[in-house]
Amino acid sequence: MIEVEHLSKRYGDVFAVNDISFSAQGGQVTGFLGPNGAGKTTTMRILTGFTPPSSGTARVAGYDVFEQSLDVRRRVGYLPENVPLYRDMTARDYLMYLGEIRGLKQRGARADAVLARVGLSSRAHSRIRTLSKGMRQRVGLAAALLHDPQVLILDEPTIGLDPIQVLELRSLVKELGRDHTVMFSTHILSEAEQVCDKLVIINRGQIVAQGSPAELRAELARGSRVLVRAVGDVESLRALLAGLSVVAEAQIDGDAIIVTPASQADDPRSALAHAIIGAGYELLELRPLAVNLEDIFIELTRQSQSAAPATPEAAQATLQEGSEVSA
Amino acid sequence: MNALWAVYKREVGVFFRSPIAYAIAFGLMLFLGVLFSASVNSAVLQNQSGFAQQPITADLLFQSNLAVLVFLMFIVAPLLTMRLISEEAREGTLEVLMTLPMGDWAFVLGKFLAVWTFYTVILALTLAHTLMLDGIGVLDGGVVFGAYLGAWLYGGATLALAMIWSAITEDQIVAAFLGSATVLVLFLADGLAQLAGTQDFTRGAANFIRELSLQSHYQNTMLEGIIRAEDIAYFVFVMIAAVFLTTLIVGTRRWRAS
Repeated sequence: MIEVEHLSKRYGDVFAVNDISFSAQGGQVTGFLGPNGAGKTTTMRILTGFTPPSSGTARVAGYDVFEQSLDVRRRVGYLPENVPLYRDMTARDYLMYLGEIRGLKQRGARADAVLARVGLSSRAHSRIRTLSKGMRQRVGLAAALLHDPQVLILDEPTIGLDPIQVLELRSLVKELGRDHTVMFSTHILSEAEQVCDKLVIINRGQIVAQGSPAELRAELARGSRVLVRAVGDVESLRALLAGLSVVAEAQIDGDAIIVTPASQADDPRSALAHAIIGAGYELLELRPLAVNLEDIFIELTRQSQSAAPATPEAAQATLQEGSEVSA
Repeated sequence: MNALWAVYKREVGVFFRSPIAYAIAFGLMLFLGVLFSASVNSAVLQNQSGFAQQPITADLLFQSNLAVLVFLMFIVAPLLTMRLISEEAREGTLEVLMTLPMGDWAFVLGKFLAVWTFYTVILALTLAHTLMLDGIGVLDGGVVFGAYLGAWLYGGATLALAMIWSAITEDQIVAAFLGSATVLVLFLADGLAQLAGTQDFTRGAANFIRELSLQSHYQNTMLEGIIRAEDIAYFVFVMIAAVFLTTLIVGTRRWRAS
């Protein structure tokens, strides 16, 4: 359980995180989504007790991250972004070391159990320097799971993994989400959509949207453009649609017509269907255009970037790179 | 306590597995050994020649051996401590440790006690020289005990001072140079105090500087077998203050953007 209220973190004059509020429930995976440099890592560092907030409060597992830092740290498993590890230790020794600092009983059994859970039992006695990037990531994850924490905070755990490892890690995170509060940051949208029960989208230190993937999709479906395809003369149909009060603009696109609704708030689809069928056309297709989370993401981050030079191209590039990984 | 012990054990293990730590110990012992055998040799010749105004005693040879060792701490201390904290900061493992349920002090104190332990082992190696001297001459037990206790505390204080720089910078070389300068300044402060003592208007400062210097609490006191509470208090205070300061500096990482 994570509750964040009006949290800000300032470095000098720069707000890394500016007045954000959200919550993450137990038994769910909460995705923390945003372009690079949006404030994801800073927020996670506050939640894990590494960095104190400048203002606002954050409670993790019922404890305040600043006032009761040690209580929070006892209950949180954290995988930092670059997965720092002692390269000269073996995976198992590393876990034993962390277990001893945490004061765990039966460290050996715990270490073996988490190594098995991340599928690394066979390399338990290999020095970390000899492990591949994906294996190191799993050692880091094992370290986060070692004390069976209530809350798991994973900072971009899929970065630098190959596609198969990414899939494995996602299913592991999903599985962990069933009995833990998991917070998981990523800049890859399709990943968040697949893994998370709830999404918090952050950009330039501020939260621009939050909700379940379905909610976010529904939200943007209202007021989005609609594609119409019908049997009959396209040009006359276009003229018909352009004359309707709910339509701002109708354009021909191949054998279909793209309709831009007049109002952002209303769904024009039923009115369109009535008009088309009433005029004697056979309606083949009527659907909102391009409502997937990528569009929402780009739309939202672009809106909140309007003050500064917008970089939708950069966001687009990031997303495409993400889709390739997931493909 | 768990955490302190865990950090200490790991760090001692790192020292005893590190080729660099062995190289430092080897270099130091080689230097001390060459100097020791040369000085024993010349002392024996001089004593036999009959020209010596005073015979060179085993105590004197023993004292000069340890005096050289503590003098060399301006090189040894920074070499042993330079990576202590800077490496963890650079590798990012400090972030992991600082999100574990332990105080920053436990981490720093564990590190310090580990390097002091390694130094203690190096110091114990010089017992070989001491036992040899006891074989060819007669050593005063009080002098040996006082000098060793002093060298042990002196080493701990210089290691703690050099460690501060390892927390300040992530660059080991920079940490080593600054640590070396710090220890050397505190060593030479004794000479500065003597210089200041020659002028009336700086005489007050001279006492102050002398009390601050490492040498004044070792050279003419513990090295001679004189164990004074004020000298022990000085070294212990330096260690506690340095560990405390290092803890504070490590803590500032939480407030810095990195």
